[in-house]
Amino acid sequence: MSAIDELITELSRLPTIGRKSAMRLTYHLLRQPAAQSRKLAEALVALVERVRPCDTCFNLTEAAQCAICVDARRDRQVICVVEEASDIASIERTGEYRGVYHVLGGRLAPLDGIGPSHLTIVPLVSRVMQAGAREVIVATNPTLEGDATALYLSEQLRASGATVSRLARGLPMGGDLEYADGGTIVQALAARRAI
Amino acid sequence: MIRTDAIVLHAFDYRETSRIVRLATREAGVVSVIARGAKRTGGKFGQGMDLFTSGAAQIVLHPTRDLHTLGSFDATRARPGLAASLARFGAAAALSELGMRCAPEDGGGAIHDVLVAGFDAVSVAEAHEVIPRTVTAAWHLAEALGFAPTLEHCAACHEALDTEESVRFAPRAGGALCARCAALAPGARALPADARAMLLAWAAGEEGIPADAKVARAHQRLVREFLEEHLADGKPLRAWRDWEMNGGHAESR
Ligand SMILES: [Zn+2]
Ligand SMILES: [Zn+2]
Repeated sequence: MSAIDELITELSRLPTIGRKSAMRLTYHLLRQPAAQSRKLAEALVALVERVRPCDTCFNLTEAAQCAICVDARRDRQVICVVEEASDIASIERTGEYRGVYHVLGGRLAPLDGIGPSHLTIVPLVSRVMQAGAREVIVATNPTLEGDATALYLSEQLRASGATVSRLARGLPMGGDLEYADGGTIVQALAARRAI
Repeated sequence: MIRTDAIVLHAFDYRETSRIVRLATREAGVVSVIARGAKRTGGKFGQGMDLFTSGAAQIVLHPTRDLHTLGSFDATRARPGLAASLARFGAAAALSELGMRCAPEDGGGAIHDVLVAGFDAVSVAEAHEVIPRTVTAAWHLAEALGFAPTLEHCAACHEALDTEESVRFAPRAGGALCARCAALAPGARALPADARAMLLAWAAGEEGIPADAKVARAHQRLVREFLEEHLADGKPLRAWRDWEMNGGHAESR
């Protein structure tokens, strides 16, 4: 396979990039100064060689521990469990959360062959035990699989003595029933609580 | 464009914003659709495309392709009860897997109806009811697909079987066998008279609860072996086997 074809093939594997876009990008890279394209290649190599999972929480980092885990101001007694490292950014953006994280690496998905052993559940349980954490907030996605994963975690963590909580869900605050989609209303109805 | 009742069996992300969803529908059987923009929260599909959710779907059917286009999906019923216990969750995945193995032309709307009834029954099942209700739905699915097991006559020679009698059950032969035919079918499992009576009761739409967990697990295995033999692609039912092995990852409890 020629170098051009090879790059087109690799680029078209990326999300949102079809074969046409991959061709356009490839020819763009050929037209620009070689030094510029080499910079892109080096950035890719650096990404692959330097970024790794945090030893403690499995967040992405270039050191043994991620910036959140080494931050002395964070409360290590509260651990927020997320499916993917990219979920951390959404929670950090709010600026509301001062605890630490744990990245599961997915959720229980029997239809995709993903069971507990495919996730970082064993390290989470020993971490909670060792740190004597007081609360574990399960922030898996608000889906059936996310709920089942949360339930599984709560059972695994029962012996630890930590309080296990789940992010609330339903109609967004300040929302209008008229504009909520059917799915959200159905979810909110199913998750209704006595008042 | 068709408008049909549908239930979400499986979904996975496709490209940046879309999802590919396997739906059991009443009008078009079990189909795969692409839901463009479904990953965006607040998009036209919202949270409604979660697993095992029922809704009214608008689908643009492409006659020459296997992937159709989902125009809209208005959720009418979510089933959070299916994640309220790991046993229910494992059972729902096992049922969904059966539906996913069906082709558009299989069973017509009956597959949709059987799955909806199964998910509804499991979503409120007590612990000891999860297996029998799921197994019942699986047998009803076999019936909808046109290969319900023979239970009152020998599947090979059609001789009537005494209801008091323990018989052999051979998935490949299509059901229960008389003693003579069973001798020629090595590997057929023993099917005690009360287990056969329970299969007949389930087929008739009655709710039967096996005497104990061991009997329930035997039924769970029996229907799985039968379906693995008869579903078109002959591949192992992975999610069902997972559920059978550890009750929806409940082994650690
Ligand atoms: Zn970390
Ligand atoms: Zn016979």
